[in-house]
Amino acid sequence: MMKQSFSMILLVLFLCCSCGNSNHDQTFDSNNLLRASEAAVEKLIEDFILVEDGGTISIPEGFYALKTQLILDNKKTITIQGAGMDKTVLSFRDLKSGGEGVKLSGQNIKIENLTIEDAPGDGVKAQHCDGITFRKINVTWTNGDKSKNGTYAIYPVQCRNVMIDECIASHSKDAGIYVGQSENIIVKNSLAFGNVAGIEIENSDNAEVFGNVVKDNSGGILVFNLPGLPKSDGKGTKIYDNEIIENNHTNFATALNESPNGNTVTMIPPGSGVILLAAKEVEVYNNKIHKNKTVGLAIANYHITGFPTDAPDWSPFSSDIYIHDNQYERTLALPDLSKEMGQLISVYNAHGKGKTQDIIYDGFWDTRISDDINTNPMKICIQEPQMESLHFTRFYLLEGEDNIKSFKAYSPFDCSLKVQTNVSAISNL
Amino acid sequence: MRHLFASCLIFLFMGCAFLHSCQQPANEKSLAQLDFKQLPLKKLSEYGFFAGELSDLLPNNRVLFYEPASSLFTDYAFKSRFIYLAEGKSVKILDNAEGEIDFPDETILIKNFYYPLDFRVPEGKKQIIETRLMIKMNGSWEAYPYIWDEDQKDATYKITGGEKEVKWMDLEGEDQLIEYIIPNKNQCKSCHNQNNEMVPIGVKAKHLNHEISYGDRSNHQLVEWNEKGFVSQLQDLENLPKMINYQDKDQALHDRAMAYLDINCAHCHREDGPASTSGLFLNYEEKDWRKLGVFKTPVAAGFGAGSFKYAIFPGKADESIMTHRMASTEIGAAMPEIGRVMVHDEGLELIKNWISSLSESEMRAHFSSDFEP
Repeated sequence: MMKQSFSMILLVLFLCCSCGNSNHDQTFDSNNLLRASEAAVEKLIEDFILVEDGGTISIPEGFYALKTQLILDNKKTITIQGAGMDKTVLSFRDLKSGGEGVKLSGQNIKIENLTIEDAPGDGVKAQHCDGITFRKINVTWTNGDKSKNGTYAIYPVQCRNVMIDECIASHSKDAGIYVGQSENIIVKNSLAFGNVAGIEIENSDNAEVFGNVVKDNSGGILVFNLPGLPKSDGKGTKIYDNEIIENNHTNFATALNESPNGNTVTMIPPGSGVILLAAKEVEVYNNKIHKNKTVGLAIANYHITGFPTDAPDWSPFSSDIYIHDNQYERTLALPDLSKEMGQLISVYNAHGKGKTQDIIYDGFWDTRISDDINTNPMKICIQEPQMESLHFTRFYLLEGEDNIKSFKAYSPFDCSLKVQTNVSAISNL
Repeated sequence: MRHLFASCLIFLFMGCAFLHSCQQPANEKSLAQLDFKQLPLKKLSEYGFFAGELSDLLPNNRVLFYEPASSLFTDYAFKSRFIYLAEGKSVKILDNAEGEIDFPDETILIKNFYYPLDFRVPEGKKQIIETRLMIKMNGSWEAYPYIWDEDQKDATYKITGGEKEVKWMDLEGEDQLIEYIIPNKNQCKSCHNQNNEMVPIGVKAKHLNHEISYGDRSNHQLVEWNEKGFVSQLQDLENLPKMINYQDKDQALHDRAMAYLDINCAHCHREDGPASTSGLFLNYEEKDWRKLGVFKTPVAAGFGAGSFKYAIFPGKADESIMTHRMASTEIGAAMPEIGRVMVHDEGLELIKNWISSLSESEMRAHFSSDFEP
């Protein structure tokens, strides 16, 4: 039954979001809900503070206008339970201080069946959690004005055993679903739309991302490793059975006409399906990668950002990547020209100016391993059906901007390898 | 007549006794008899920390005033801090880089936030906003926030936080008016957090290793703690870590900047703090320029990054994310995340001067790779 209502929401959403660049679609209108009384809001804040281990925080139907953060601090086995995504709405539009709307820490924490709106920073952040489940929650920003939207919608960081299931994340200025510096992760059956990045797995180990719909973001699914973090390099991610469709949204991570800042996401060219950046041990298979106007799947190294590439216990290179059995559909739309990476693809790809690419490899490699990229030193394996008909480009960027080369040849990368993940232990979360 | 006189005396005595008990609703005895199982008490006065009018904040026996060398900026609020230890209890200073302190159970830290009506007369009439207690029990700390009543006679325990309009005249004689935000109980740990455990921030040897005024006299406060039995086995002061007051213009610019960043940022931005996720570490002891933010790209800064690439762009204070976030009051961009709605102009200027003093080419030498400016 719940499953059915979730599908309904998905369906409704699809009907109304076939539009292009800027949509403000909401899965429902929270204005129609009754406002919770001041006493009910006060009680909710108290419940988060006073709940004891093993307890449940039930949040009845209503629109809760919060002026302070909801923080669950280091508790064990807590369920935070709304009356439904379209029934219980926590609005942080009036929040005056604090980095996120809801913050969770502890063991075996569940948050489900509610909506979080308009947090000035992140929607819901979970830090230092062992066992954290987000189920059937919708996190969004209702502003038309994207410049005011928050950073991450659903944001577990430094957590172990993370489950994100049947959630919706939309309109965030960075990633809708962002899992950072964590281990043992499932992101499934969720919807990410209208964000800069749909789903991002960053500096994390042992993650599976499957059964999701990722649509109308600037970039669909990202697997990144960034330098200089306490969790230095993540490895082991599988991305499968997802629909990664029409991620052609303007990149609004910085204001229009402003160049990218130091946040890597500001460099994402609109029209990107999947981007792997300094990623390690990633398998991408059985996905529908359709109508992303710039590139279906990009394998990139951190050098492409132009930022310093030295950091302890971390490598700027993507390595041990296996891409296979995905379904690609190109579009006739012009690839992005607003970002450097978009320009690189549009202008210098091996199939003709202005042509959408299915797969690109930016072509940095560790020359200490081999002088010749054709020996496939970083173990990049690509085995797609009808590889012949796909637009594949490998760039050569080591001689600087004035001497960019590109190649169609994919045979050096025709190989397979085994990527290890195991999330069976958390499948019941 | 004589009878009448006697009655008057009795009446007078009763009146005195009554008055007396009004002024001291809780005396020293009740503080010693504090039942920690009954905490938190509903009213601040019930603890008996202070003698006389509560708002005079005159400490009772075993309640000792202390002051860190540098202080966190919270919208120009004044703070007065006290530590309570029962007779016979004492703390121990640990042998580590910050001189962290091991507190016994039933230690209470008392921090009052107030605004003098006229900052040019700091001892004059004032408005006390809140008093935050941190109490250690069963080996761990817990925070108990009290909000002062309108009549300033007492403060009431309230966990959900709130807002209060505050007015004062600043040092230039200008009127200031803000909507002061009182954090909710669980927000305390947004800062008071080390490895996800609640901890004090300012009560470490490095913050206390200096002389302060006790009204009519001065003393080195750790010596005072030693004389009063608040600390056991006090080490040689020379061997204890010591942080400077960032306001002290006789100190080196780098040290002043580091002291400012330590007390304002490093409670989160440290290896075992909640902002460890960023990899930006701003504690006084940090020596690695990259961890301090030089040519360091952000991780989850969102629009907090503004149009800038690096936390610190050496030599370019106006192109650094650090100063951008200090100069912002926009929630989501402003740093620190809680505790202020105003910009700390003096602090911002200090950090800008410091970043401007750093040399880009010298800093580049710390990196082996080439990268864009």
